[in-house]
Amino acid sequence: MVHQDSSVRSTYWVELKIASHPANVAAARYAAEAFAGICGFGEMNRGEIGLCVNEALANVHRHAYGGATDRPVTMRLERTEDGMRIVIRDWGCGMDPQASMSRARDVRRPGGLGLICMRELMDEVVFEPQGDGMLLTMERRKPRGVSETRRVG
Amino acid sequence: MMVERDKAMSDLKMPSGLVTSVREEGEALVVCVSGEIDLSNSPKLRGALLALVARHSPRRLVLNLGRVPYMDSSAVAVLVEMLRKVPKGGCVALTDLQPRVKGLLEIARLDSIFLIVGTEQDALAK
Repeated sequence: MVHQDSSVRSTYWVELKIASHPANVAAARYAAEAFAGICGFGEMNRGEIGLCVNEALANVHRHAYGGATDRPVTMRLERTEDGMRIVIRDWGCGMDPQASMSRARDVRRPGGLGLICMRELMDEVVFEPQGDGMLLTMERRKPRGVSETRRVG
Repeated sequence: MMVERDKAMSDLKMPSGLVTSVREEGEALVVCVSGEIDLSNSPKLRGALLALVARHSPRRLVLNLGRVPYMDSSAVAVLVEMLRKVPKGGCVALTDLQPRVKGLLEIARLDSIFLIVGTEQDALAK
């Protein structure tokens, strides 16, 4: 369902509510990639955004909900003036995944790779603990003057 | 003799939906993987690869990912685990990488840990 929110200056947003089952992550990723296309991102950047959504939702399943597959997760995709915002809300344990990133990373131990992807591929990544879970906001801005820019390689 | 060899080769094939072909090439085991791999099915891939490695004990594991358009960090974790399963001095080679997969391995700084080459032939020749 696509809304044009009249209370906010000309933005489009899509909100999905999914169960925390890993099988639902792909659908959410596809939605995010499609929405990124509507926001004007090229194919490569859409893939990067989709990967970040995947990783964020996988972390919700694993860490926020301890592997539970029937807990609620909402994802809101918003078109911004210069790109796109993704807001993911869970009602899990409220664990801040950034706390596990303090140790020096060993590439042969891929734990934490999801968060690394988010930080490298999104312009902003903000975790806000809620009283009953976590709110994650990610933003990606479109490149200026070129069709898309590659964040890796 | 031919019948025995064919049976041995067919025994190696363990279709799991993700693994589409398996063959031996000397001390190497060449495995073709297909499909998007994420948290919903990476455990299945892990199980299939572990079974193949345990059965054959290849010195070189060659994973053709040409038909894998997408993978996430859980799939990367499976690949890294395979590094620990080949004998010391062996290697895990990744071939035919699609751009998204290559990009993820670069983010993970794993592009120097695996042998990443263009084709299966390149992996077998090195």
